[in-house]
Amino acid sequence: MVKVGIVGLGTMGRQHMDAYLQMPDVEVAGVYDHHPDRAEAFRQQYDVPVASSFNALLECCEIIDICTPTYRHAEYALPAIEAGKAVVCEKPLARTIEDCERIAEAVHKHNTLFMPAHVLRFFPEFRMAHQLIRNGAIGTPAIIRTRRGGDFPITKSDWYADFEKSGGVILDLIIHDFDWLRWTLGEVERVYAKALTFRKLNHLDYTLVTLRFQNGTIAHVEGTWCDPGGFRVTLEACGDAGMLEYDSAQQVALRLATRADEGSAGGVQVPESPAVENPYYLELRHFVDCYKTGATPELTVTDGVEAVRIALMAIESARTGRVVKR
Amino acid sequence: MKVKVGIMSFAHLHADSYAHCLKTNPRAEFVGIADHDRQRAQAKAEQYGVALFDSYEALLASEVQAVIICSENAKHAQLAQMAAAAGKHILCEKPLMTRLEDGKAMLAAAQGAGVHLFTAFPCRFSPAFQKMKQLIDAGTIGELLALRGTNRGSNPGGWFNDLELAGGGAMIDHTVHVADLIRLLTGQEIATVYAETSNQMFHGNYDDTALLTLTLQNELFATLDASWSRPKTFPTWGDVTLTAIGTKGIIEMDMFAQYLLHYDDRAGRIKQVFWGDNIDALMIDEFLRVVAGEPRCVIATGEDGYRAAAVALAGYESVRRGEPVTVAYE
Repeated sequence: MVKVGIVGLGTMGRQHMDAYLQMPDVEVAGVYDHHPDRAEAFRQQYDVPVASSFNALLECCEIIDICTPTYRHAEYALPAIEAGKAVVCEKPLARTIEDCERIAEAVHKHNTLFMPAHVLRFFPEFRMAHQLIRNGAIGTPAIIRTRRGGDFPITKSDWYADFEKSGGVILDLIIHDFDWLRWTLGEVERVYAKALTFRKLNHLDYTLVTLRFQNGTIAHVEGTWCDPGGFRVTLEACGDAGMLEYDSAQQVALRLATRADEGSAGGVQVPESPAVENPYYLELRHFVDCYKTGATPELTVTDGVEAVRIALMAIESARTGRVVKR
Repeated sequence: MKVKVGIMSFAHLHADSYAHCLKTNPRAEFVGIADHDRQRAQAKAEQYGVALFDSYEALLASEVQAVIICSENAKHAQLAQMAAAAGKHILCEKPLMTRLEDGKAMLAAAQGAGVHLFTAFPCRFSPAFQKMKQLIDAGTIGELLALRGTNRGSNPGGWFNDLELAGGGAMIDHTVHVADLIRLLTGQEIATVYAETSNQMFHGNYDDTALLTLTLQNELFATLDASWSRPKTFPTWGDVTLTAIGTKGIIEMDMFAQYLLHYDDRAGRIKQVFWGDNIDALMIDEFLRVVAGEPRCVIATGEDGYRAAAVALAGYESVRRGEPVTVAYE
């Protein structure tokens, strides 16, 4: 049995826990959250041992899975790496490029098995779109547009609303698209962005980002925490031999509509399309398999660093009004 | 009394739609056609059963009260000045001009001659857009924070790919409609433009892909995709979309999303069959009314056309400089 420990027991911690429960060769040997009541609620729900400290978690696990808010990733990743653990870390890799680089340096120094959890690469629609584009289905890509988001994510601590902690919609949300675009198109050359991020509006964030890739492709990424109409993802990739289009609001395999209970609102939205294996399972299964076989994960720490770098370029452009070059 | 109208050039493909509107509008008398392409003029005059004029001068010397100019973009200025000098009211295809000085000359000529100069921006007449404007004006989505627009199409080819005649590629062809809608919706001028263009769709010496970022007043920003990015197998010609983000909600407009999907085995393709209102007909109807003396309501003025085209020209300036630029209106 591979012993996994989860740190950070919010929405993503639960997603990951659910995925591990489907793996007969994995035991969640411990979980940890610096909020004792959150850890206790998690223990009651899943009947898993709660570690008394993060150090205690390190002692009982082979793989550390970091699901804390972004700004605390480095705080847990660095000691886990130092302790020789395999580490899977939720996206974004860290809040600052300095933290990203410290993590990357430690990973290289300790030869750590490490994966930034850019789960979009394990969403079948985005995985297939990547493969089709790489295999020439649309010819030379000219312009790719993505759209991601819904209403503002609201949690108990409301850390998403604190730009210093979350990086807003650009770093927290559309980093998915930045990673997917970089995976599909290669490195970015320059970025220009507009955003509501710095206007200090109450639970509203929105951005429109233009990216120019080194291969000449233009991308337009829309990120919204402004849309009360529900979470929606779209992708449109145009090339000189065709176009690929995906719209989560148009292609719905299963639709449920119920009357809302009184007072229900908020929360962090996790998109789902019915499938035998969900993307979080596929992502974590891949990492556990790499741990067991010694294979290199599809996503390396460099991918995590570079995705954050693109997001921070967009944030800088939105703040300064200037084009930011790599 | 019917309004007597002539068409100057059928170079732009929209001329056929306007000709059809003239033929079917009871206010109009479609008098005739002149075109520097004589063969085209003859074919169109026969097709619509109207007079063929040997020259633009001959058309302008006739009894027509108004003309619709559908020449190549770069020729709008000369034809509009000729029409103004002859005292004819003008509806000019977009983009109004390919150079600022041409636009200024057109506006001055119309003003000097006391004739109306309008720009063919039929999207203003779209019931979906009008409803969107009403909702925003009524404060339904609160304060307007951002806009996201697209006007994508396929490459029209021909002179549209000639930088001299068209004044550019996709960006000058497809920026102006949505730039105009944004001006109308906000009551503001577009202050700065940043643009990225490429030729990776058709690999010619013109831009076929264009993505603009616009800023207005009060920190309002927008992006506009003006690319010729619709593939040959796309089920319709393209789109006009505009999404408004407000403090209380959003409005998404997809102007031509009123269609039946036709899976056509005989043609071997899937087509959108549009059933919404004909916005060209609505625009031509107001043009005829205003020429007949009624007040203007929706139709875009020459100034509107000038300001929208200036945004596209600023886009090219931004590409040359690699940075956001202030739109030059003067």
